[in-house]
Amino acid sequence: MIRRLFAIIVVMACAAGVVAYQVARPAKAPATPRVFVPSPRFFLDFSPSFRTSIADAYYLQMVQYYGEHAKSDGRLDSLPQMVDLVTRLSPHFARAYLFGAFALIDAGRPDVSYMILQRAFKVDPNDYRYPSYLGFFVYHYGKGKTKDLVAARWYQKAASVPGSPTYLPRLAAALLGKGGETEKAILMWGQVYGAGDKYSRQKAVAGIDRILPADKAARMKAVAPLYGTMPKAEFDALIAELFKGYK
Amino acid sequence: MNQVVAVTINTFKETIRDRVLAVIVVFALLMIAGGLWLGSISLGEQGRMMKDFGLVALTVFGLIVAVFVAAGLVHKEVEKRTVFILFSKPVSRTAFIAGKFVGLCGTMAVVIAGMGLFLFVLVWIVAGQASGTLLLAVVMIYVQLLAVMAVTILFSTLGSAILAAVLGICVFVAGQLSHNVLALTRLGKNPLTEVLSWVIYVVIPNLSAVDIKAGAVGEQTLAWAQIGLWVAYLLAYLVVALALAAVIFRRKEF
Repeated sequence: MIRRLFAIIVVMACAAGVVAYQVARPAKAPATPRVFVPSPRFFLDFSPSFRTSIADAYYLQMVQYYGEHAKSDGRLDSLPQMVDLVTRLSPHFARAYLFGAFALIDAGRPDVSYMILQRAFKVDPNDYRYPSYLGFFVYHYGKGKTKDLVAARWYQKAASVPGSPTYLPRLAAALLGKGGETEKAILMWGQVYGAGDKYSRQKAVAGIDRILPADKAARMKAVAPLYGTMPKAEFDALIAELFKGYK
Repeated sequence: MNQVVAVTINTFKETIRDRVLAVIVVFALLMIAGGLWLGSISLGEQGRMMKDFGLVALTVFGLIVAVFVAAGLVHKEVEKRTVFILFSKPVSRTAFIAGKFVGLCGTMAVVIAGMGLFLFVLVWIVAGQASGTLLLAVVMIYVQLLAVMAVTILFSTLGSAILAAVLGICVFVAGQLSHNVLALTRLGKNPLTEVLSWVIYVVIPNLSAVDIKAGAVGEQTLAWAQIGLWVAYLLAYLVVALALAAVIFRRKEF
């Protein structure tokens, strides 16, 4: 009886010790901004059959890493390597590219973000999101006088992907006009007008009107390239709206 | 033929009743279901996480079952002396090996199909759409494991059950690195090592080539002709391994 009681006390004491240790110890080690990220080559060489599973595991780590540092110390030193590793192991992993691209902006590396999205678009040219985000990134984070035109070209590429949203040609046309490429902008607005709904048509008319000269002859010359690029009835309707008030 | 059928049925009944097998399968199912938790922290990639980690769990636990059961198949009969009773009847040693293998194939089919269907249904519920490529990936894992089982049975005729199991796992790992061995043959300056690594490349089953796990998450385009060729390659491989096992077993003295 005493022996049994003794055994129970020992077991209970051990159990209490285990629980006490677990409760008392720090919840987690302080997160370090620099973590070891292996080369993608290593996994591609030594574990080709499990590469997507490894990519998933590192993707989860990437999300955790971003969550730990973005709102605390803001240091995301290893993020570029993580995004690179995940997307090289799983080149069609859309979420990893998109999440990685935006997280890299927070990491202060829009250049890497741009490269990652370019690679994504090369792998999946039928996904309009990549070129549209590339356009967005160039427009917002790009420098220099040509950034509007570069952004517009990305939006143009995005707009040419089947199934892309109708606002993309509008964005492209607006940026082309802003960047000084009047002729291209007019052509792009013409496409928006031809393929769009009532709202898009209003936007197209306003967009062309904004970049056209006031002089009637110059205006006529500027819209001339539109002829033949869209159905005649729509061309006539657009011209009628653009020359409203002109005699 | 009747001899093979008799041994097959007996082996199937014997292995399917194994409690260790049931424990491993339950553990595998728990691991597969654990993918749900991983999916919940993946920012909307639940389906992908379930598929990927589920297939890994299925491969690993399938490998454990395949290797450890295959390694003990022949030895158990020898240790229990039941092999003497069996061979006193008109059962050839080749039929014994073939029957053991086919019986285990049946058990593995039940195990892999159970885990695969569980994963399939779970992914269907989580992702909202059925994935045919997932089922195809499960079938290819099964075919890979058949080749590993055949090699493990071959090793079990040569040495102890533990050694056979260890070597079976080694063959699986080496099969994943097969293309690296080929790369070594190209890099090698020494003709002897070059020839040696080329022989290893040919002898080890090329499991990484016949793997379509990546296809289940859209990372691989699959062609039926290619898949057919891969299956034929592994089936031919296991026939050779079993034939060798039969030859060795026929010469064995108890």
